[in-house]
Amino acid sequence: MPRPIWSGAISFGLVNIPIKLYSAVKKKSISFHQLRRNDGCRIRLKKVCSTDGEEVEKENIVKGYEVSPDRYVIVSSDELQSLSPKASRNIEIEDFVELSQIDPLYFEQSFYLVPDKGAAKAYTLLLTAMRTSGKTAIARFVLRNKEYLSAIRPINNALSLSTMHFTDEIIAVAELESLPEDTAEPAKRELAMAEQLIQSLTADFEPEKYRNEYQEKVMNLIESKAEGQEIVAKPEVNEGGRVIDLMAALEASLSAAKKKPTAAKSGRKKARAQ
Amino acid sequence: MPNKTLVRIDGQQLTLSNLDKVFYPATGFTKGDMLEYYAEVAPAILPHLSARPVTLKRYPGGANDEFFYQKECPAHRPSWLATAKMRRKSSAEATNFCLLEDRPSLLWAVNLAALELHTSLALANDAATPTVVVFDLDPGPGVTILDCAEVALWVRQIFDHYGLQAFPKTSGSKGLQVYIPLNTPTDYTETKTFAHALARFLEKKHPDKVVSNMRKTLRNGKVFIDWSQNNMHKTTVCVYSLRAKDQPQASTPLGWDEVITSRKKGTAEALGFNADQVLQRLKKYGDLFKPVLDLRQKLPEFGS
Repeated sequence: MPRPIWSGAISFGLVNIPIKLYSAVKKKSISFHQLRRNDGCRIRLKKVCSTDGEEVEKENIVKGYEVSPDRYVIVSSDELQSLSPKASRNIEIEDFVELSQIDPLYFEQSFYLVPDKGAAKAYTLLLTAMRTSGKTAIARFVLRNKEYLSAIRPINNALSLSTMHFTDEIIAVAELESLPEDTAEPAKRELAMAEQLIQSLTADFEPEKYRNEYQEKVMNLIESKAEGQEIVAKPEVNEGGRVIDLMAALEASLSAAKKKPTAAKSGRKKARAQ
Repeated sequence: MPNKTLVRIDGQQLTLSNLDKVFYPATGFTKGDMLEYYAEVAPAILPHLSARPVTLKRYPGGANDEFFYQKECPAHRPSWLATAKMRRKSSAEATNFCLLEDRPSLLWAVNLAALELHTSLALANDAATPTVVVFDLDPGPGVTILDCAEVALWVRQIFDHYGLQAFPKTSGSKGLQVYIPLNTPTDYTETKTFAHALARFLEKKHPDKVVSNMRKTLRNGKVFIDWSQNNMHKTTVCVYSLRAKDQPQASTPLGWDEVITSRKKGTAEALGFNADQVLQRLKKYGDLFKPVLDLRQKLPEFGS
């Protein structure tokens, strides 16, 4: 069962619908740890000063904004905190638009909205009305100190929410260089051929058809290596040298003892036990 | 709703639940039996729990079912229950551990289906100073508790040589554990390094019987001397704690004579005790693990 990552309410005119937000996406990327080649020891990153190489403690690290080369303005987390948007628990619906008017470039992350206790009726009402009208709601809300623009639309019997980029985050086509000028119009015959090719490849979109083959290959490799015990174990201790020294000392001290056995009571017991 | 029973124990009111629920299906041992065992064993187990951070190993569905470890003391604990904040491994966050100082606290924890109680080797107010060195002797596939007994005697022999006393107990599961009380200033680097060196030494001396590397594939036919328990962030099953096995067995202190005799006679069954037997042994012998609490010893130094 997925877990909700946030709870709040959709506010829609005078209606308030308490909801829980669930991620709609489960990322499947494979992550690796960094190890030392010869013994499998885990690599740890240290934060060090770039000038003197000394390690810097977490509490001594601050945020600096580079205003000009090598000149920084330091901003404290308290200062940032005071500016962050009010932790409102509302998803404010502002407009209803046609989904086709939103370019997919705008979409960022996808979530599901699930009604919270007692909100099923109001939720169903909004869902049904949106289905009938075929519209997508544009709403704003605050998640983890950041304000998001979002699009809410029905998917089967649930409402989905996709966070969106603000328009000033989108790079306009006009900013790109070396796009061909409109003047070079393609030859009619070539265009017809291209259009025909497109038509012959036209199909319904079936997401199951496309698989992440690289990921599958990497996972297979890992599994076969794990089965074949081709596993690098983490080294047991970093004080390996001291263990060996101590072991030698134990050995020396115990073998010296054997030459002059003591007649202790426990000594006899040991002899029997062996 | 779970059926609840209100009881008064040593002046504290406690609500116990599901007393009839069978926790060990093989024997019909219920949650009520479990609470009764802990209530009776309390005078012996409490000194070993006292002042130590406890990890509750909870089996809500009984001994054969799923379990989880609980380090953070549940928020719904009674107001009188003692706790201790401890820094967590590689993190600035602290964990607030339960301290089980008296019978009501103990039974409250057991009522949460904390069938097994695992304790730190150090006291909560001095978390970096282990009071004991522990060797956890774990039989690999193909060997038994009798092989652990043999290894335990080797461990004892070494400490004997340095004039230090060691105390054996069953893990209550498959193996044996040997405790060397210190109760003097030390740290985990010292105890762990010493335990590791000793394990390596015995492995070198008895390569066909002992293994000191924790890689599971090396354990076939050997006893694994787990020296790595001597770690600030690890816990070991507390003496007298029940274990989640088929039978309601407990981690039981042994006399060395028992270890020697079973080893000689090949009687593995003489090294396993269920709840009733543990209580009988307590009446007969008292707490054989008492010296672990206060015997002051120091690990040998090799002028390093």
